Amino acid sequence: MGAGTMKSRIFSGTRYLILGLGLVFFIAPVASAIEFSLRSYGNKGHTMANYSWIFQQEDFFTNITISLKLAVLSAVITVVTVVPAVTFLHLEGQRYKRIFEFLAILPLVVPVVSLAIGAQKAMPLFIQNSQYELAFFYVVIAIPYTFQSLNVGLSSIPLKTLVEASRSLGASFAKTVTSVIVPAIRSAINAAVFLAVTLSFGEFTLTSLLHWETFPVWITRVSQGNVLGSIALSMFSLIGAWTLLILVQSAQNVQKNRRSKSQVEEMEEATA
Amino acid sequence: MTLMTSTQDTTIRKNGGVSSLLKLTPLAPFSLIFLFFFCWPIFQILKNSLDQGKGHYGLSAYRLMFTKPYMHAFTTSLQLSFYSSLTAGVIGAVIAFYVHRSKSGFKSIIAMLSGVLANSGGVPLAFMFIAAFGAQGGVVTVLKKLGIDIYGAGFTLYSLTGLILVYSFFQIPLMVLVFTPALEGMRNEWREANNSLGGTNIQFLRWVLIPVLFPAFLASILLLFASAFSAFATARALTGGSVGLVPLVIGSLIDGNVITDQANLGDALAVGMIFVSAVVMVFYGFSLRWARGR
Repeated sequence: MGAGTMKSRIFSGTRYLILGLGLVFFIAPVASAIEFSLRSYGNKGHTMANYSWIFQQEDFFTNITISLKLAVLSAVITVVTVVPAVTFLHLEGQRYKRIFEFLAILPLVVPVVSLAIGAQKAMPLFIQNSQYELAFFYVVIAIPYTFQSLNVGLSSIPLKTLVEASRSLGASFAKTVTSVIVPAIRSAINAAVFLAVTLSFGEFTLTSLLHWETFPVWITRVSQGNVLGSIALSMFSLIGAWTLLILVQSAQNVQKNRRSKSQVEEMEEATA
Repeated sequence: MTLMTSTQDTTIRKNGGVSSLLKLTPLAPFSLIFLFFFCWPIFQILKNSLDQGKGHYGLSAYRLMFTKPYMHAFTTSLQLSFYSSLTAGVIGAVIAFYVHRSKSGFKSIIAMLSGVLANSGGVPLAFMFIAAFGAQGGVVTVLKKLGIDIYGAGFTLYSLTGLILVYSFFQIPLMVLVFTPALEGMRNEWREANNSLGGTNIQFLRWVLIPVLFPAFLASILLLFASAFSAFATARALTGGSVGLVPLVIGSLIDGNVITDQANLGDALAVGMIFVSAVVMVFYGFSLRWARGR
């Protein structure tokens, strides 16, 4: 007995050690980069100057706007292309499900650099000349994630039963789509949109190789002349992205908890 | 309910032809985008890589690819992917294991943080590490004050080792994310059985945990391997071009920074990358199936 507790104490000792080391590994670079971003040229103490420099750049808002536009556009394209496809595969197209699941993995197999070299040559000029071509490529690059997340999301809902019930109660097809299917898969759609938006907001490889300027590409260009500014800009965009991701994920968690709670309540009411 | 589905099925079969094609319309937008923005560019790379000009097709671009400088780029890329996926994989698996044994609140916080950190990459990550681990960086300075001079010991951020360090920042969380589901499948009874049969912790690790978790571990590592192999932005921002990775070589070819007589060398390299990545993903598929078969 004594040996056992001793063993488990050592075990929990290693546990704290390892988790502690992990924590240090992730906090140390962030903390020291923040410190670095507050330095001033010529060692004149710490300052916020590098951060105010960011907002003085005239292209800052232009590029944020472009990136936001592209993110919204790729979210919209994802909703009108991937969502109907996955929903159909779950309802009537079961036969084609395997093929499409395989296709949806393929963009993960092709490195973005390779896709970029093809995109540069394959697109007709009127597409090459529009920055909005990027949104379509972002959607394709995101397909492995968006498709998979929708696929998993829809598997957890008895979609087919719901649709059959709605149809047998006399609802039209359109009515079934708007008031049964869409509400049922809303959280899966949200997750897919979220993935498409994060990916397109951060995409650098394809964008820079096709010589377009978006926020991440602009960061690299503007950084070349100002080391401290570039660190500040990097920390600004990293911490901004992390905060957003955490907010969205906790919102999703809250939603999920609320839903499972309300389901429990409904079941309790039904049995009472 | 079953009755209804069966009547629906017969109507589909009876109508056949055009109307059954019409039924596939929900797949159309997806398929169109996929064909035009994915399959078509890939087809173009394949075609260009074989194009010798003047209507002739041949393998000269591939012959050039198999010469020393480009093969060296492939070996460097493979080395980077191998070492970084193994390092991050082992560390990530150990962290996932200890997190798995913690309270559920802590577990969900780590799951969330892993999801967030696994997404951070690109140029900002490179700059963050320059600020921390560059010659003037904060971490380097603090370590020096503690008497550890990592640059004196031969470390530099702008090298293969440096890249492995930077990649760990998103690969360890990615490992935690993809490896945790495998741990969920473990049963507490296994440990109890081991203990009651007189097995030690080491024996439990050697004869139970490692064999059971190995396929999932392998699958996760291969996923990390693929992500490291095709990563571009961080490597480019960090090393400029001092570490000659395949994606960086392709990038310089696209930008026209490297001039060769072989105009379609970039296409051949791109096909080479797709090939390596496809092999990795096939093994990933196999190990995933192996893991699920348990």
